[in-house]
Amino acid sequence: MKKALLFMLLLLALTLTTACSSEGVEGSGGGGILIIGIESEADVLDPHRAGGWVTFRINRQIHESLVTGDLSDPNQMYPPIKPGLAESWDISEDGLTYTFHLREGVKFHDGTDFNAEAVEFNVRRAWDPNFEYYDANSAGSLSLVYERIKDIRVEDEYTFVFEFEEPFSAFLSLLTQGGQGSTGILSPTALMEAGNDQYAENPVGTGPFMFAARERGQRIELVRNEDYWSEKPHIDGVIFRPIPDASARVLALESGEVDIIAVPTPDSVERLVDSGFKLEQSAPPHSWYLNFNFDHPAMSDLRVRQAIIMAIDREGMANDLLRGTATPSTSAQTPANSAFDPDFVDYEYNPERAKELLEEAGYGDGFEVKFQTSIDGSGQLIPVPMAEWIQADLAKVGINVILDTYEWITYLGFWTTMDPDVGFNQMSWGMSTPYFISIIGSENGIGNAGNYYSAEFEELVHKAITELDPDVADEYWKQANQILAEDAAFAPIVNDTAPYIMADYVEGFIAPNEEWYDLIDVTIN
Amino acid sequence: MFVYLLKRILSIIPILLGVSFLVFLMVYLIPGDPARIILGQAATEKAILELRAELGLDQPFFVQYGIWLLSVLQGDLGTSIAMRIPVADFLLPKLLNTLILTAGALVICLVGGVLIGLLAALKKYTFFDRFIMFIAQFGANTPVFWLAIVIMWFFSIKLGWLPSSGMYNMRTGPSFSGLLQHLILPAFATATVSLAVIARLTRSSIIEVLNMDYIKTFRANGIPESKIISKHVFRNILSPLLNMSGLQIGYLLGGALFVEVVFSWPGIGSQLYTSINAQDIPMIQAGVLFIAISFVVLNLINDLIVTSLNPRLKS
Repeated sequence: MKKALLFMLLLLALTLTTACSSEGVEGSGGGGILIIGIESEADVLDPHRAGGWVTFRINRQIHESLVTGDLSDPNQMYPPIKPGLAESWDISEDGLTYTFHLREGVKFHDGTDFNAEAVEFNVRRAWDPNFEYYDANSAGSLSLVYERIKDIRVEDEYTFVFEFEEPFSAFLSLLTQGGQGSTGILSPTALMEAGNDQYAENPVGTGPFMFAARERGQRIELVRNEDYWSEKPHIDGVIFRPIPDASARVLALESGEVDIIAVPTPDSVERLVDSGFKLEQSAPPHSWYLNFNFDHPAMSDLRVRQAIIMAIDREGMANDLLRGTATPSTSAQTPANSAFDPDFVDYEYNPERAKELLEEAGYGDGFEVKFQTSIDGSGQLIPVPMAEWIQADLAKVGINVILDTYEWITYLGFWTTMDPDVGFNQMSWGMSTPYFISIIGSENGIGNAGNYYSAEFEELVHKAITELDPDVADEYWKQANQILAEDAAFAPIVNDTAPYIMADYVEGFIAPNEEWYDLIDVTIN
Repeated sequence: MFVYLLKRILSIIPILLGVSFLVFLMVYLIPGDPARIILGQAATEKAILELRAELGLDQPFFVQYGIWLLSVLQGDLGTSIAMRIPVADFLLPKLLNTLILTAGALVICLVGGVLIGLLAALKKYTFFDRFIMFIAQFGANTPVFWLAIVIMWFFSIKLGWLPSSGMYNMRTGPSFSGLLQHLILPAFATATVSLAVIARLTRSSIIEVLNMDYIKTFRANGIPESKIISKHVFRNILSPLLNMSGLQIGYLLGGALFVEVVFSWPGIGSQLYTSINAQDIPMIQAGVLFIAISFVVLNLINDLIVTSLNPRLKS
């Protein structure tokens, strides 16, 4: 007994003595390893299958698309499209044929040559059910981008062609996206060897970083691609560390265990900045908004919808509740796309006018309404306190809001089909392409949760999608957005500013107006 | 002993069957659809139906459960829906990590609990005794989530002694000393409640034994107090202590699952949190099954030790 006790004490002492040293930054010989604390475990490292911004931020470092968003200038309102694995492209005059001239001499991380056949392999995987390596999961994720394609063909080794039934003006910008599966090009050799299900365990692309290791729940490690075709990263590698608990993420940054964190708790930002950490914010294409249910008796009245928008103090919520980690949103169209107008205001905050409108609509004595939202989720910020804020604001104009909250995954399963007794529900997403409003507002839009329909809106969307001149298309999108505001189809609430907080020795981290970032310019000093 | 062991092992089977059925049913009844989760907000109905069929999610409940059970009986725990990798290969290392954390917590609650209990018993009814028991009581009623964040802040940020999360230093790579450093805080957070229970039990048991006649006889014969405590008192409190430890293992395992999420400890708890969020049925099933098996096996080992020390308990 005595011996056992002694042994235990010895073990404890040993543990405590080894413990008395904290993890500081190890000076590395080269560019160093950057450690990023991310908000949740990433999905599969398969660019076609994986949805969600968290995963795309990693997949984007490994895989590249034909065209990409230029994320090097944080002052650009939206990332302009620039050549990726395609050096240039031609769009036929009728807008039905896209010809991509591919970059020569590029190799995948496994040494496979990048060429038009590799592109064909990638597209067929997510588009052609008769293809040997067709993958239903990839096809589902990428249906948004590929479903309008009529045909594809390899013109020659470095020329690849897409054919469409009718013009699809959003195609190029959708090629740069990654929230819903991405068009990142993967090595056909790697996919054929591993198979559709196992590819993600050892992903192989052409990007600036190569996959090195993954321990789920611990880390995803990438190393610099020394043979990268463009400007190579300065850092030797990057580790993405999932730390789901926001407070723990902040503590990991403060203790030097990670160099950068995403999604700090709103109340920690000011303190961290005051103690010497750096803050990078942007205006990514993110909108936290309400879907009005047009099948609900009260909500089908335009005046009621307008009153609700006017009654919500969006600025107060952004500044007081979210402590400046978001900005008030006054447009259904998200920031960071070519058709976004930063001066566009749907309705000013005016609770008095809201009361008048309710009076006119016959709801002068107030009414009760159910509001559904989630308790957490990707891009959802702090949904419950935000919902309570809305509840309090609406109570001031006589609307009694009953909150109905769900866990995120459950919520995702039914948010697009509201029961008639639900007045409105909430969602947060967005894209750096104006096409986004057709997803949430069109009759057949998969994000049209409130059964909104406007013939005028449909017509404008169709014109915008089939318009060949991008400037004219943007004009149509703006007009369509105007219709959404006039109809009070949605209540935009806030736009996230996607704060990243980092140690003072991290230089060159650019937070672009997009939901993801590049790490090419980052240095660790 | 062999018959007793066989009986105990056979009684585990219906428990595991019941657990697996209940968990399968619970996950099945959760609204929401794994296929939709995988494909995201913008997926078309057609794509979702296609993927549901591919994953076998369009089958009735009993068919799904039957397929799963038959596979498990053949040693195949299936493939993760979300990650598309074999569940068993993936979860076993995670189970090991959870057991490391649980073992660390067990060491802390046994060593700490016995030491605190002993000190309190020796100073019984003094201010020191009351204070230490108050602290123990406070610890026993502290929500583990809150405590985890507080000790993380105090030891990692304020004092800079210990790392706040993960299992090893990512800048220098895995090492045994690194593992120990990373283990202390989560193990302590996991152990708090049990530590308080063991401390109180130790204290009351020692006080009880110290009041016994034979101990008074030893003292009258001039046997030193240290010898009395180490040789006679401890032998007497060993049985209740072991019994209690067995009961605490369940709490420790359960506590570890929560603590893992806060400390980003890559065990089964963290994985279950992720898998439940993704409604990854095979992963949830295997995770719960592993925990259930660990629980009954650890309890069995504990019972075997206790009965070997006290054969009367076998009946």
